[in-house]
Amino acid sequence: MKKRKNILPKLLIYAFIFTILFPLALTAVWAFVGRWPWPRLLPQSFSLRGIEEIFGGYSGAFQTLGSSILLSAVVAILAVIVGTMTARALVLYDFPGKSLIQFSTILPIIIPSTVFAMGTHVLFIKVGLADNVLGVIIVHLICSLPYTVKIMTDVTAAFGGKLEEQAAVLGADSRQIMKEVTLPALMPGLVSSACMAYIISFGQYFVTLIIGGGNVKTFTLIMVPYLQSGDRIIASAYSIVFILSTLLVFIIFELAVRRFKTDENHYYFV
Amino acid sequence: MKRWIHTALILVLAFTVLLTGCGNKATTAEFDEDASFETLVSQAEGTTVTFYGWGGNEENNKWIDTVLAPTVKEKYGITLKRMPMDIEEVMSKLFNEKQANLEKGTIDMIWINGENFFTAKENNLLFGPVTPYLPNFEKYVDGEADEILYDYGYPTDGYESPYGCWQFVLINDSAVTPEQPKNTAELLEYAKKNQGKLTYPALPDFTGRNFVVNVIYDLVGHEKFIGMEADKATVKEAIEPALEYLRELNQYLWSEGKTFPATLAQLDQMFADGELVMTMSSYPCVIASSIENGIYPDTATSFVFENGMNGSSDFVALAANSPNKQAALVVMNEILSPEMQASRYEKVKITPVLDFSKLTDSEKELFDKVDLGKGILPLEELNEKKLPQMHAKLIPIVEEIWLEEVVGK
Amino acid sequence: MSKKPYLLLLPVIFLSLIFIVGILYGLIQSFGIIPSLGMKVPTLKYYQELFTRPELLSSIGMSLYIAFVSSILATILGVLICSLLVLTGKGKGKVMHLVKIPIAIPHIVVAMFVMLIFAQSGLLARVLFNLGLLESPNAFPTLLYSQNGIGIILAYLWKEIPFVIFFVITIMANINTSLGEAAENLGASRWRAFIDITLPLSMPSIKNAFLIIFAYNFGAYELPYLLGATAPRAIPVQAYIEYIHPDLLHRPYAMALNGIMFLVSFIIVLIYHRTVQRNPN
Repeated sequence: MKKRKNILPKLLIYAFIFTILFPLALTAVWAFVGRWPWPRLLPQSFSLRGIEEIFGGYSGAFQTLGSSILLSAVVAILAVIVGTMTARALVLYDFPGKSLIQFSTILPIIIPSTVFAMGTHVLFIKVGLADNVLGVIIVHLICSLPYTVKIMTDVTAAFGGKLEEQAAVLGADSRQIMKEVTLPALMPGLVSSACMAYIISFGQYFVTLIIGGGNVKTFTLIMVPYLQSGDRIIASAYSIVFILSTLLVFIIFELAVRRFKTDENHYYFV
Repeated sequence: MKRWIHTALILVLAFTVLLTGCGNKATTAEFDEDASFETLVSQAEGTTVTFYGWGGNEENNKWIDTVLAPTVKEKYGITLKRMPMDIEEVMSKLFNEKQANLEKGTIDMIWINGENFFTAKENNLLFGPVTPYLPNFEKYVDGEADEILYDYGYPTDGYESPYGCWQFVLINDSAVTPEQPKNTAELLEYAKKNQGKLTYPALPDFTGRNFVVNVIYDLVGHEKFIGMEADKATVKEAIEPALEYLRELNQYLWSEGKTFPATLAQLDQMFADGELVMTMSSYPCVIASSIENGIYPDTATSFVFENGMNGSSDFVALAANSPNKQAALVVMNEILSPEMQASRYEKVKITPVLDFSKLTDSEKELFDKVDLGKGILPLEELNEKKLPQMHAKLIPIVEEIWLEEVVGK
Repeated sequence: MSKKPYLLLLPVIFLSLIFIVGILYGLIQSFGIIPSLGMKVPTLKYYQELFTRPELLSSIGMSLYIAFVSSILATILGVLICSLLVLTGKGKGKVMHLVKIPIAIPHIVVAMFVMLIFAQSGLLARVLFNLGLLESPNAFPTLLYSQNGIGIILAYLWKEIPFVIFFVITIMANINTSLGEAAENLGASRWRAFIDITLPLSMPSIKNAFLIIFAYNFGAYELPYLLGATAPRAIPVQAYIEYIHPDLLHRPYAMALNGIMFLVSFIIVLIYHRTVQRNPN
């Protein structure tokens, strides 16, 4: 490839990366701002108010962060399992009602959560799932499934089940196939969908509030009121901790997958 | 894959048990309606009680977590859990629990007022009357005062115990605009002088509503709204001069009144950044925290119209299906103690609800020694200039008319 | 007939059922059925009343405008950047980590970003002012709370361009490695091969991405509520305001508005499917 041709695309990609990173950097600055009046380009004074609120101990934000990560990690694992099963059924089999299932897996993105949260809450109170972690895990699972099903469908379709057949022809038993063929091929997709499910669960506000009823506290539940009340300093501090913790979890997922051999011929969203 | 699934499921179950286990409360005794306060205290010991309310004020959250909760823990052995949740969601939750016939709910105490209180009470979502259970209410509160007897014009009937006072104030930066409009006419002049640098939050924002209500009060008085029929034509006729005024004001406002910031938070940010010369608040002393935290400049000051501004109380109510009414009542009583009111006054800058003539000298001293900070009007002036809040039924109608007749006109 | 697919689908069917029951519970309220408030007789009153309100049409119009502009721009820009990532081979590795960040960040945080940067006293206006290009904050165009909806659109773009990339890149990259490179070996230029082969084959995925974000942007209230104009309100904002109305008797209006929203999204999806089927290319 000629070098000059590559400059424009690269420039565009860098511009794109810049637009992603710039607001994050700005928020990181705002987390330490005291006052920043017009028309200053740099803050007039700095304060540690935001950081104290999160790490000062009285707000319980830090402990909540821990249990919140745990909760979302559980949702991520479950979502990956259900997503993988659903994708296998959708890709490898033809059966009546297939398009109905496909449609219903997309629905949670389209329907406003206010509509579904209210009804589900009444249902969950009746069956004892309201105000507890299990209920919250179930609704988070519903919200993240569209994404995991989509990723796993892509990956399963790309890998196509042919390798499994070949391995079977060569005499491998089903357990060997699972361990040696299926799992390594699906691994990048598994990580990718785990990340997505984690994100969706970790950022849920309304549904968590209604179904968890305040009994299940998550980091987002503490963060959002500050964003709504417009205290930019505290809101920024929370946002930065939110983002950093999410990245940390991604890195852990990523390290977990490094242990498996991956199929280098395919790109995945990892 | 199967082993994987097994491990994951076991993990999930373990986490679930772990997480729900922490939330379990000790079972409380059945609530006896004739119980004395002493009985309540003894039954409440060792239990957990929840307090649901808006979680967007750092100072108030901090006060509950670091003052109120430790106090009730030490004095009564009650664990108080603060649950940050907007009142709309609290209402939805109570309402859904009722729909599902849940006898023992999850919500105990609720920070509430106005129409939400009315709706909750009308739909039997609240337990009450609660004030007869509270010795401190009898001892320190003026139970005959309008702002205790009525909440947005609705009789409280003892279903709410007061929490703090609110009153509408305007805020400017004295370094930028030294003058403070004393009425709507002066406000119009002020707006002309500071073209494009004034606005107010779009209704139904709580403070945006209060701004419009006070414009109406200043132009047509507050008396005629007492007992007014909740009918659009009647209300419209009554507020016509105010509508005309607001339409005239529009041309001098930010974005020429074609659009308004959705929340007070956004208005505050625009003021803090110097984009606006005036902001407003429904809590007259919170300006001091904003100055202390550096959100407002040191030169910010608050002011009221000479004819007064509307104001009332915030309340704490008890859910009808509260699982721990005993402890909730004990905490509600504690909130009314001079120590707690004074510390909330100092830390959160919320004006106390107590009747000062009922306090002893040493109790009064608790309040006198509080140094509130900058920008605040004296309490006496605020009290003198306090007008009753408009009846809750009229406010949504005013809102509707405002949207039709003022925005962009 | 094999039972296997249904076994695999068991959990998703279970979850979908919960979801659908939830929706039905919600939508049934739009017909005035709320037993605990003593409302038991089904009625179309709330829908009829909404349709007589003059602002309903302008609300729907506002929502359609925001949803169309933001999702079309997000799709075009997303596909463009996605193509660049695939062709330059940067689709693996660190860039993709970055792409995940905006998807992870809640809308309300993005609203704060937009306010910090694009308010009349925001960072952009300050830069212009310090460069001497702006006289006062008021001279900066109103992007927030205005009827042009630019603040909302910018916020959606920031979140959804990465979403489109995420949604499309796996398929696009795989097609490009298997077929596009084959065409290249046969002598087609890299770009030609990409445009003639990879892009058309990625189209179903791109269209799906578009539909999802369109439906989302049409129905979500957070950004239009925080960054939108006072009037006309986007229809989900109207639904939200009815929903938080202290009088619980307003609940049916909120749910009826949601019903209308659902109907409009559904019609658009349907029209789209029809036209796609008629013109397979």
